[in-house]
Amino acid sequence: MKSALRWVAAIAVLSAAAFFMSDYHNDVYRKLMLWVALALGYNFLFGVCGQVSFSHFAFYGIGAYSIVILLFQAHLPLPVAIVCGLVLCVVFALVVAIPSTRLEGFYLALATLALGQLFIVVLNEGGSITGGNGGIANYRLPDIFGVRIRGPWYTAVIATLLVGTLALLWRLDHSWFGRACRAVRDNAEAAAAMGVDVARVKVIAFTLTAVLAGIAGMVYAFVDNTVNPPIFGIENAFLLLFMVIVGGAGRHAGAVIGAVLLFLLPFWLSPVVGHHQALVFGVLVVAAILFQPRGLIGLWDRFSRSRS
Amino acid sequence: MGPILQVEKLTKRFGGLTAVDRLDFEVRGGEILGVIGPNGAGKSTTFNLIAGAYGASEGDIRFAGESIAGLSPHRIAARGVMRTFQHNRPFAGMPVIDNVLVGAHTRFAARLWSVVLGTSSHEEARMRVRAEELVQFVGLGEFARADVGTLSFGQGRLLEIARALAGEPKLILLDEPAAGLTPAETARLAEIIRGVAARGIAVLLIEHDMHFLLPLAHRVVVLNFGAKIADGLPDEIRANRAVMDAYLGAATN
Repeated sequence: MKSALRWVAAIAVLSAAAFFMSDYHNDVYRKLMLWVALALGYNFLFGVCGQVSFSHFAFYGIGAYSIVILLFQAHLPLPVAIVCGLVLCVVFALVVAIPSTRLEGFYLALATLALGQLFIVVLNEGGSITGGNGGIANYRLPDIFGVRIRGPWYTAVIATLLVGTLALLWRLDHSWFGRACRAVRDNAEAAAAMGVDVARVKVIAFTLTAVLAGIAGMVYAFVDNTVNPPIFGIENAFLLLFMVIVGGAGRHAGAVIGAVLLFLLPFWLSPVVGHHQALVFGVLVVAAILFQPRGLIGLWDRFSRSRS
Repeated sequence: MGPILQVEKLTKRFGGLTAVDRLDFEVRGGEILGVIGPNGAGKSTTFNLIAGAYGASEGDIRFAGESIAGLSPHRIAARGVMRTFQHNRPFAGMPVIDNVLVGAHTRFAARLWSVVLGTSSHEEARMRVRAEELVQFVGLGEFARADVGTLSFGQGRLLEIARALAGEPKLILLDEPAAGLTPAETARLAEIIRGVAARGIAVLLIEHDMHFLLPLAHRVVVLNFGAKIADGLPDEIRANRAVMDAYLGAATN
């Protein structure tokens, strides 16, 4: 009960901030929160459960495209479109996860990389359904009970999504399920000897985080009111991986720090290095892996321990 | 009370090599059964067969009256067969107590949706108390909240036992638990193993060190080249000529 109040307070604070921002800053703030939500989900999959997947961002795209197609091409009502979109995410996730868990981790990386690329191909070749290269634009969020959610109120929806994602992953992490995920990551054979159904844990973690990414994608679809293939390119899958590694894999706080830093860095860097920010990211990731495998949150741990 | 574990004509072949050859034995609740034999006698293979890590070529393994041969390791664990490993396999990056809680994995009743809704916190708290008791039982109480990486090798051996006990086993498989321990740690380990058996848990104990095993075990099975060459009380094993030749002879000469 007390923890529920804390989550509600977090939503209130994050939402309230939006009402003091300009339209431009609201836009940046929304995208920042969506990236943090994505990084939290990916951290659970990669950092906590140890599954190297490159399709997490594709599920973000599947969520975004499916809600737009179901609403404006199939003309379904919003609740039906949301449920159908979620079912699509679950089905795609199971199709990738179930065969992959029977193989070693390397094959999951390959299968998900293929899915990420295939998704872009399907978007480009989808004709009138996906809108091809240009995607779909010029739509807007349907009214909900006659109310049009816009401006900072939509930012509040995203804040709710972010805090909800964190609350869900936090609870999972501090339960038998989270411990089973970490045990599977560390030593699958020992985990099985402790009674953990390794394949089941992997499939659940993969599907659950894929659905979270899909929900974030659905919300994203009404941030720019346009979906097109370049937004969901494979380089964003790597950016997610970088965020988690730089922040500190396996830690929620690490995912938040990594996502905030790597999302905001280009805004500060672009006057200095133009579009060569990828170079800076590359150096950061290599430095993290070589000198600080626990990421920035690991640095913070060391700092706070030396002070106490 | 009947035997909790019955191994019947258990055989494991790796290609042309017969690692375990028509092995028969049984263990009762509260009994410490020692399994000894020279290197390569098939002791660890037998353990891996019982725990489900390997599939048997022939024969049967019956646990609590039902065949468990061919079941996957996590199902065997869920039925109440828990094991330790010959080399410590802690789950890194977790506190000691969380390692023990992984051992209790199959004892959690809360479903995933209950975890998500936050209604499973009572069970979590209850299990944490129980895990804490087990950490105390093996003498690691002061390290319960420490990162598992800070434990010494010997403490890690004890953690393996606490983690296995957390699964509330009816049978526990200990794979050379005394290997690499100091004499003081070994004495402490013997007390812990007696305490486990006193709880009514059947203990199957692989051991190399006869000085540790013979005073501890209630009964001993001796393996050589995968086959059983003796089965009896520790004193009978000491007096057994075939055992002396196969195993002790080399050690005592």
